[in-house]
Formats: sequence, structure tokens, C-alpha cells
Amino acid sequence: MTFSGTIARVRAGQLPQGLVLKLVVLALLGVLVAAPLMRIVLETLAPDAIGAWTDVIASRLSRNLLWVPLSNTLILGFGTAVICVAAGGFLAWLVVMTDVPFRRTIAVMATLPFMIPGFATALAWTTLFRNNRLGGQSGFLESLGLTIPDWLSWGIVPSLVVLSAHYYSLAFAIIAAALASINSDLVEAAQMAGARRARILSGIVLPVALPALLSAGALSFAEAVSNFAIPAILGLPVRMQTMATRLYGLIEIGQSGRGFVIAILLIAVSAFFLWLGMRVINGRRTFATITGKGGRAKRMPLGAARWPLFAFAAAICSTTTIIPVLVLIISSLSTSSSQLFSSWTLHYWLGASNPDFAQGQAGIVHNPFILDAIGTTVTLGLVVAVTGTIVGLLVAYTLARYRTGLASGAIEQLSFVPLLLPGIGFAAAYIALFGTPIGPFPALYGTLTLLVIAATASLIPFAVQSGRAVIQQVSGDLEESARLTGAGFLRRLAAITVPLAARGIVAGALLIFVKIMRELALVVVLFTPATPVLAVLAYRYASEGFAQFANAIAVVILAISALATILANILQNRSQPWLKS
Amino acid sequence: MIGIDALTKDFGEGPVVDAVSLSVPQGAFLVLVGPSGCGKSTMLRMLAGLEKPTSGTITFGDVKVSDGESGWTIAPSRRDTGLVFQSYALWPHMTVAGNVDWPLKVAGLDKAERSTRVAEVLGLLGIEQLARRYPNEISGGQQQRVAIARMIAPKPKIMLFDEPLSNLDAKLRVEMRSELMRVHRATGATSVYVTHDQVEAMTMASHVAVLNRGRIQQFGTPRDLVADPATAFVATFVGTPPANLIEVEPAQDGIAFAGEILPASFPLDGPAQAMFLPETLRVSREAGPRTIALEFAEASPVAGRVMVTGARAGLRLTAVVDDVPGFMPGDTLYFAIPEVPAALFSVDGERLA
Repeated sequence: MTFSGTIARVRAGQLPQGLVLKLVVLALLGVLVAAPLMRIVLETLAPDAIGAWTDVIASRLSRNLLWVPLSNTLILGFGTAVICVAAGGFLAWLVVMTDVPFRRTIAVMATLPFMIPGFATALAWTTLFRNNRLGGQSGFLESLGLTIPDWLSWGIVPSLVVLSAHYYSLAFAIIAAALASINSDLVEAAQMAGARRARILSGIVLPVALPALLSAGALSFAEAVSNFAIPAILGLPVRMQTMATRLYGLIEIGQSGRGFVIAILLIAVSAFFLWLGMRVINGRRTFATITGKGGRAKRMPLGAARWPLFAFAAAICSTTTIIPVLVLIISSLSTSSSQLFSSWTLHYWLGASNPDFAQGQAGIVHNPFILDAIGTTVTLGLVVAVTGTIVGLLVAYTLARYRTGLASGAIEQLSFVPLLLPGIGFAAAYIALFGTPIGPFPALYGTLTLLVIAATASLIPFAVQSGRAVIQQVSGDLEESARLTGAGFLRRLAAITVPLAARGIVAGALLIFVKIMRELALVVVLFTPATPVLAVLAYRYASEGFAQFANAIAVVILAISALATILANILQNRSQPWLKS
Repeated sequence: MIGIDALTKDFGEGPVVDAVSLSVPQGAFLVLVGPSGCGKSTMLRMLAGLEKPTSGTITFGDVKVSDGESGWTIAPSRRDTGLVFQSYALWPHMTVAGNVDWPLKVAGLDKAERSTRVAEVLGLLGIEQLARRYPNEISGGQQQRVAIARMIAPKPKIMLFDEPLSNLDAKLRVEMRSELMRVHRATGATSVYVTHDQVEAMTMASHVAVLNRGRIQQFGTPRDLVADPATAFVATFVGTPPANLIEVEPAQDGIAFAGEILPASFPLDGPAQAMFLPETLRVSREAGPRTIALEFAEASPVAGRVMVTGARAGLRLTAVVDDVPGFMPGDTLYFAIPEVPAALFSVDGERLA
């Protein structure tokens, strides 16, 4: 790089290249990411608030405030991580390394659960397994005459099952990609050395796959401890608290000081494990494939176990995708969960207000709250899709253009931080920063603006990632070859840059939109009646016992996000390298 | 030492290796060469024991190691063979020393013996200083050396190489070629080497088997192949540059050379392909009694001489001559054809004379 060095020296009299751009981006990330985090810490350290730390950590209350929720959170985190790695790893092994029938179908099915919002799966669970402990409607299975014990209806076990059913697809994607990169030559080389099957597994395959297993586990853990919707729907009714639900409860009842402390602790737990996972995969022994041509994909013949293993995989995939969705759809068309297949009605969708039904609540198309919420949510989604894409492109461009320097390093680090933050903790930080007026700016709490800013900030890592993909597509070479033809800036923009980038940008924006549609943890804390959001409304309906409304809204969210996801996939034409045989 | 008899492999879509028979003595360097998809890698994998033959047998010394008819195959590890993969197949979670050490550990050698042997082979390949690095921390050429070191550490009697140099750049490839031959001599093992690059085959082999579509086209020494090719395929596949083939057929007042009628100078009964070695062709700007006009395509200096290629639709000739005037693309060249071809092949490639 002596050449660029010379240029830098020639321009020594001027400002360093791109400094203005870098400072602007840094300031933006500072406000969006660093300020709320610093604020929430400072808030709890203020002289009149520092007592919250002792309340939470060492007082008569701390058992209920911290230790019980913490242990529940850790149980859910570790349990989910283990189940996800086992289930995701099993499916990844089947799809990538064996000759199981319908490999492609299994691979697609295994990535679907993550597309279904977690609260939708949780609602489907209650529709089936709810028992009469809390009164109200009972679930479908109990109406068949089965007795559903409390541990299967509520609390840790169903939360664990639903969390795992939701997040195993993450583990699958990570492990499948890693296994696909294990060249079958590696195994054959071990065979040549004379190692037996067990020795090859323990000496070669597992160590090579280990970083992927660990990082899949760390990610599942972090997602599970951050999740609000699932323990809130399945645990809160029986007072099972996790850090996330405790944080929500404290903010709801106005004890924000204690809430902030819990938020900081939750962020610490989740970030620590994510950081640990990333350390493992970025360490010295990153087993990025040693390149080289050749390396045929030799599939392990399963023999007689082929169809039984397929059946098992198909069972895992369909109980986590098709069944919950079907349950939600059917339940939204039934008078009650106990009569899923006998008494159907369109009331929850089309009915006018009728005192006999759901205390006079009108069906979705007539219900002002729900229509209002659909409008607000879609608006929020669209606005954040635009703001997020802009921020993402801006950061990605800055990082691609100016790779080195202190400011670039800081930008890179900051743009990555929200990935480590549970949505609900991040939301708490936003309340800490924007809950009160700052200088000339009014307090933003309760406004759509705050939701937009918080959602944009929380999606920065994701947006930067899609931004990078776009910028790479329009790499310098292409633009420069157009410049050599003598085309002017605007002409290049119109003929080369925009056509190349447009699909990527729209696809990235659509995926941001989908994430917002399904977001509950972030918005549930920032939600006020002035800013009704669909996911929160579904959650409210569910906790007030209007299961069908909740389920119908879940179906609406599913439909909108499925459409947008499919569209984005078509635009991106996403490749799944492990499907290539 | 290695005996292959009627070896056939069929994955269910027709034979990939079709009734191949050959044998080479102890210490031979056998090269299997052919275009991609000719079955050479499959043959190597059968020698390694990674694939079972559909029929035919493989014998190492006096021991039958694979028998297609009875489905009998000795496990890869008990054949006393080592294999260098095209992808190197270095285990990414082990250091260089670890990669070399692991097969010895599996073989049950004790620690002192292992560390001596690891140091010895790393020294032989000149990579002692890389012992503590991981495979992703070293260059392609170094990875290649590690793969070879790992293969020779257990002292196999037969060394197998699957296109080991195809991932290296041109200069490194030449270097590693000599390196491999040195290792071959130092170990005294019998080597089988698969490549699609005839230059590698010609420079390294004591024995070459040219394969095409699963069948052996010719088996012999490099010199035999160039001087006396058994089929038209071999004639155009080996040699630098490879020999020229011209379609010939009897005409009223002579012989038609790719349509151009020249005086008859050798007996010809029907359509055939005539082979002319590049060094026997002459090139000039003027037409002569036995010349074919072609458009100049390219020229490049080769070891003090010049290699000239002329082409037109359906015909491409290469000559190696002492000197040529500066031709420009589009110029017409006259290639003078010797009176007697070096060999004559039938239209479907069989050797006639």
C-alpha cells in the first residue's frame, strides 16, 4: 500500500480522507447505541438511585427480584442451548452428510421455525395444552378428556420446549454451514491412517465441528435468555419470572431504577455468552476450510435407518412449523380452543360487535383497536425499513471505503454492539435516555418516534450486514470499468450502481420490515396506548383470555411476514451452500 | 509390485473404469494421465481401498488386496499405502506436527518414536519451522508439503498422489515436481500419481498409462508414448507441443490433406489420420509443392526455437522451427508437410502404420 501512502502524504496539508463522514457516522452510532447504554448505567449510579443495586442484589427482595428469575433464565438458556444444538445438529448432519430422503425439503423446513414469531408458537402451545388451573377457556387436549398436568401447561417445561422449537433452526443453519465445509477428504484421510469409525468421529469430525456447535449453543443461549414473549405467555400466568419478564414487570409498575439494574444484568449475561461464542469461532483455530479443489461430497449411506431417521426429522420439522401454524389458523376460526374441529365461526375475523362473543369485541376487520394497530405496525415497519437501510448503507459504505483508523474501528465495534443486547434490555436503556426531556428536545416516551429510533438502533448490526452485501455487489471494479468507458457520475449511478444495488437494498429493507412486524420484546416496554403495535396487542389479548383474537392477530402477522420474507428471498436469491450436492 | 487385472468400476451409469490391466515393478513411478472424467481418480481410489471394484483384481506384491468378483477388499489402512489428496485434506484443528503425528498415533507407535519420525519427515520436506502452525496459517505450497510429510511418515510401501500439484501456481508446481521425485527416490516406495497434465506425466513417470473414457489407451515409458503412440488420442495428448493429426484420404491425383490435394507420397487405401511431429514441419511465406495454407494464429519462443501455430476451420497445425519472420495475425502461412507421416491412424483412432 505504498501507493496510497504517497497520496496520503501529498494531501498531508488537508484533513485526513473521509474524516467528516467518519465523524458523522460515529456521532450517529453514538446517539443510537452508546448514549442509551451509558445513560442506563449512569441512571442507576445516581445518588438517589444507587440503592436499586442493593435492593436487587442484596436485600430481602433480591430473592424474588433477581435470584429466582436469574436461575429460571439460566435454566431456560442452558436447556434451550442443549436441545437446540442436539436437534439442529442432528438435522444438519442428516441433511449435509447422509443420504436421507428429501434432504432439500428437510433443509428448508428446518429453517422455517425461526420465521414464525416465538409468541405465535407459544400461543399455539396454550391452545393445545392449556389446562383449567387458571379457569377460562381450556385447551383442546383437555376438551378431549385428557388431564394435562400443570407442569405441561405452564412454566419451565413448556417455555423450554417452545423456545427450543423456535431457536433450533438457528443452530441448524450454523451447524449445517460448518458441516458442509468439512471436506469428506478429511474423513478419508483419517481412514487411510487406519482410524476406526469411533476414532474418526472423536478425533476428526467432532473437533472440526466443535466451534460451530459451541457458537450455535452460545447463540441459542443468548436468544433464549433474552426472549420475553415465550416465558411471558407460558410462565407469567403461574408467576414464573425470568429476567426479561421481571424487567417488564418492574418498568410496568414504575420501579424503573430496579428495572434498569435488572436490564444491565440481563445485558451482561447475554452479552457474555455471545462474546464467548464468538471468541470460540474467531480464535486461532478457526477451521475455515482449507481451500483446494477436489473434495467430493461422499454421503454416508444410512441403510435400513434411512426411513426411520427421515420420519424422525420430519416429525421434528412439522411439529415446529406446520402444526403450530395450523393450530393458530383453526383456532382463530373456532368458537373456543376446546372445540377446534366442531364449532367453526368467522366471527373473530369478520363478525360485528356482539355481546355474546368475547365480551362484545368485534372481529378483526371491524375492530378499531386491531385495525389501528395494523396501521401503526405497518407504518412502523416501513419507516424503520427505510431508516434502518439508510443507516446500514451509511455504516457499511464508511467501513468499506475507510478500513483503517481509530474512528473506523470504533464505528465497526459500535455497529456490532446491539447484537449483544437483548431487545427488552435495550428498550429499557431507551426509556432511561429518552424518558425525560433532553435540553430543548421533549421527552419521547410514548411516541412513535421513540419506537422508530429504538427499533432502528436495535437492527443496526443486521442492517449493516445487508448493507455490506449490497456494497460488495457494487464493488469498485464494476464502477471503475464503467468509469473507463467515459460515463459520467449520474449515468454510472443509473446504469450500474442502482440496478445492481436495488434488489439487495429492497430485500434488506423487507427483512427489516419482517423483523419489526414480529418484534415483541423491544416494543412491549416502549408500548403505550398511543402506539398500539400488533405483537403487543396479541400478547395483551392472550393474557386477558381472548385466545382467538390473539391467535388471529398472530396469523395476520405470520401472513404479512411470510409474504415479505418470500419476496425478499426471491429478490436476494439466497444461496444455501449446504444444499448443493 | 502393483498388479491390476481387468479392473472395472461402475457407479451405476456405465463403467467409469473399464477392464484396465497393467503392472509395474517395485520402485516404479506410475503416472495415470488423461482428461478430466477419464476414470484416473477412481482408479487411484480403488488402489487406496476407498472404493470397491465392480470387477477385476488388484494385487500388491503377492497379496490380493481387492477382488471385484467376491467383493473382497482390504481396508485402506491395512494396505500399507499412503494418499495425498487433491485438496490436501489437512485436519484443520491440528498443528502441522499434529497432522503428521496423528496417523502414527493411530498406528500405535510410542511417543519417542513418533517425535523422532515427525522431526525426520518435516526435515525431509524442509518445513521444520512450521511444526507449531495450523494449516490455515501456512501457504498452499507449504500445505502441500505437510500433506506429503503426513503421507510418508508411516513409511508406506505404496504412495498415491491425486493431482497433488493442481492447486499450486506454475512456478511452485515445477519446484514441487522435483521435490516429489526426490521424496520418491528417498523412500524407495512405489508411487502412483494421477494428473491431467501430460507435462507432469512425461517428466516424472517411469511408467505412464494414458486413460480415456475409462480405458487404457497406451501403457509404456514416456519416450514410447511420444515416439510411438498407440492411438490418435495419445498422439494428440502427449508431447510438448503435441503431434499434429491431419485427416487424409485418397484423391484422383494424389492425397487430400484436410481437403488440400498434395502429390501422393505414401500408400493409402482409404480415409485415415496422418500424424506429423511438430519438429518435422516447415513454415514459409511462399507456397511450395507440398504446402498447406493456414492463417497465422500464434508464435512463442521455446528453448531457443519458435513454436508456430496456424489454423483455419477444421485444421490446426503446430510447427517447431528455428526461426520465423515476424508474422502478424491474419498473415497467410504455408506449412510444408513431410512426404511420409510419422504414424497413420484409422478414422476412429486405431493405429494403422
